[in-house]
Amino acid sequence: MATKTFDKDTILDLTVNMVPLAIILFFVVAFAVVNPFGFESLASGLQYTLLIAPFVLLAVLTYLSGKAIAGSEKSGTVYPPGQATVPGVGPLHEEEEKAEAALEESADADAEETAE
Amino acid sequence: MEVNGQLALTVLMGVFLIAVAAWLARIEDWRSYTPLAGGGAVGGTKEQYVSEEKPSGLIRWLTTVDHKDIGMLYGVYSLIAFAVGGLMVVAMRIELADPSMTLLSNTFYNSLLTSHGITMLFLFGTPIIAAFSNYFIPLLIGADDMAFPRINAIAFWLLPPGALLIWAGFFPIPDIIPAQTAWTMYTPLSAGVGSGNQMNAGVDLMLLGLHLTGVSATMGAINFIATIFTERNEKVTWANLDIFSWTILTQSGLILFAFPLLGSAILMLLLDRNFGTAFFSVDGGAILWQHLFWFFGHPEVYILVLPPMGIVSLVLPRFAGRRLFGFKFVVYSTLAIGVLSFGVWAHHMFATGIDPRLRASFMAVSLAIAIPSAVKTFNWITTMWNGNIRLTTPMLFCIGFVSNFIIGGVTGVFLASIPIDLILHDTYYVVGHFHYIVMGAIAFAGFAGLYYWFPIYTGRMYQTTLGKWHFWLSMIGTNLTFFVMVLLGYGGMPRRYATYLPQFATMHQLATVGALILLVGQMIFVWNFVQSWLEGPKVEDGDPWDLGEDNLTTAEWTWFERKLQTAVTDGGEEEDAELATDGGETVTDADDE
Repeated sequence: MATKTFDKDTILDLTVNMVPLAIILFFVVAFAVVNPFGFESLASGLQYTLLIAPFVLLAVLTYLSGKAIAGSEKSGTVYPPGQATVPGVGPLHEEEEKAEAALEESADADAEETAE
Repeated sequence: MEVNGQLALTVLMGVFLIAVAAWLARIEDWRSYTPLAGGGAVGGTKEQYVSEEKPSGLIRWLTTVDHKDIGMLYGVYSLIAFAVGGLMVVAMRIELADPSMTLLSNTFYNSLLTSHGITMLFLFGTPIIAAFSNYFIPLLIGADDMAFPRINAIAFWLLPPGALLIWAGFFPIPDIIPAQTAWTMYTPLSAGVGSGNQMNAGVDLMLLGLHLTGVSATMGAINFIATIFTERNEKVTWANLDIFSWTILTQSGLILFAFPLLGSAILMLLLDRNFGTAFFSVDGGAILWQHLFWFFGHPEVYILVLPPMGIVSLVLPRFAGRRLFGFKFVVYSTLAIGVLSFGVWAHHMFATGIDPRLRASFMAVSLAIAIPSAVKTFNWITTMWNGNIRLTTPMLFCIGFVSNFIIGGVTGVFLASIPIDLILHDTYYVVGHFHYIVMGAIAFAGFAGLYYWFPIYTGRMYQTTLGKWHFWLSMIGTNLTFFVMVLLGYGGMPRRYATYLPQFATMHQLATVGALILLVGQMIFVWNFVQSWLEGPKVEDGDPWDLGEDNLTTAEWTWFERKLQTAVTDGGEEEDAELATDGGETVTDADDE
């Protein structure tokens, strides 16, 4: 189930949150390697807690929100955001196809004009 | 004798309150009151009685539990607060045109400084966001109303007494003077320690007022979380939720965890001041206050900026003729900001001498939180790229938002770096940086929303030329005032002072000119807003921005169109009676649009 929910597109969407996670991870490693202020159990413990706690919380929230959004994409019709209840607005993939077709038409018209 | 007098006064007050309650009970059948919303729900059966319309006049506004009415109340309240806070700072900037103490005494300057900050953040910033969210979230998600309409009303009605308490020191009350603690209320100054006058009850009243606004915000947040989780139309799944609702949901989560902490800290401070406790007077007390305050204070920054980002993400694509680029990036980065905002608070405290290991961690997370904000900025720019851009007033304010947010954001990234912060801490650089965000970005997004939805909540159109004057004066004024502050900071001008060395005079005078340009811009806004509301041309088209042409109509405009066509008893406004029920002929009564 998890592999179905987190397909390639969803993981691509979630990369946006992986960047700050990577930055935090970088500093966890960096502070372990370069530590000019020495080790002291309370201060160093807090130092790492202050990095690891946001890391874990962000990872958990990213997972849960990704699951909720990707899950509802799989189980129901996806409309353009904020337009689900608007009459005349179809599902997102139809709207995107329409937009792409319109774009191609205008591109063709432009090409014809240029040729003329 | 004095006791008897007080007793009589108390009894009189009690009788008066009972009389008011009895009067309200007589004019309003409370048990039967069911709010109408979403333009529907009329024609209930006899068993299920529904009021045909709301009470008229002032009583409607005092008793309403309709989310749209409460949104309007929040809007009026916050704009009044914006005017008060704005006039306070105009007085301060005029004083700062001259290096020495001229117009205002130093203590009065300190009072204005304190009240300007608190007014703008708590009485304007948070409520203006609540104005939009109350009015539009239920419409956008297809809900009948908020989950708890009465709690919604209570949350609003806590705000006016909060404002009166916060401003109490300025009223002619004997022996009460305004607080001079700055909005951060650092101890030991705010605990009334030392030879200053901060033991005055004015500070206590301000703290109580602040506490009320915090309770109000928390009640509102719980309401929004419940509404967005449970009241969505069945078609509005998590995948279909609009961006403004996502930002309000995240903001509400932040409020839920941040504001109770502010409340606790305020109560501890009040106990220290009045009941002899020693939370903040023992060793480490001063740093304890800063930790408690900023654990609330930094998420507060994102509480204020996330929904404006949502407004821009919603409005900007409508005038770029296309959907928001990377919608889900914006959603996930909003959530990321929400979590990380709780891990950066001590970057406000780099100069306090806390352990360098802790500082390093706060720096790391502060740098990490810049990424989601930058992602959004690129999304907005990419949305506009090669788009069919229409430079309407709301769009201009959105573009102004992006522009100012970049300057405010980049100056903030530098401050996240410890060595740079140690140089620039407590200088005008910091003031310039955060004003680019609060005025240049947050207030700009507020104006974008006010103009964009003006036809919905007034039924009329504003005057476009005046709207553009408002934008350009605000844009020029903002950049002049706050860019000069960044330069003043580089020059070493410390913040929070009523007087300064003559070498800074030219820069300060430029900032004052910028502030006056801003003032003129806001006066034009007030004129345009009020006059257009009263006399502007009536909007007969449910799609005044022609969003339908690009297939970008969102749910609130569909609701508006339905309202114009059906003109049901919703809201019971007078205008409804004048509207053509068939949506036919256009009736305009002004020429200025």
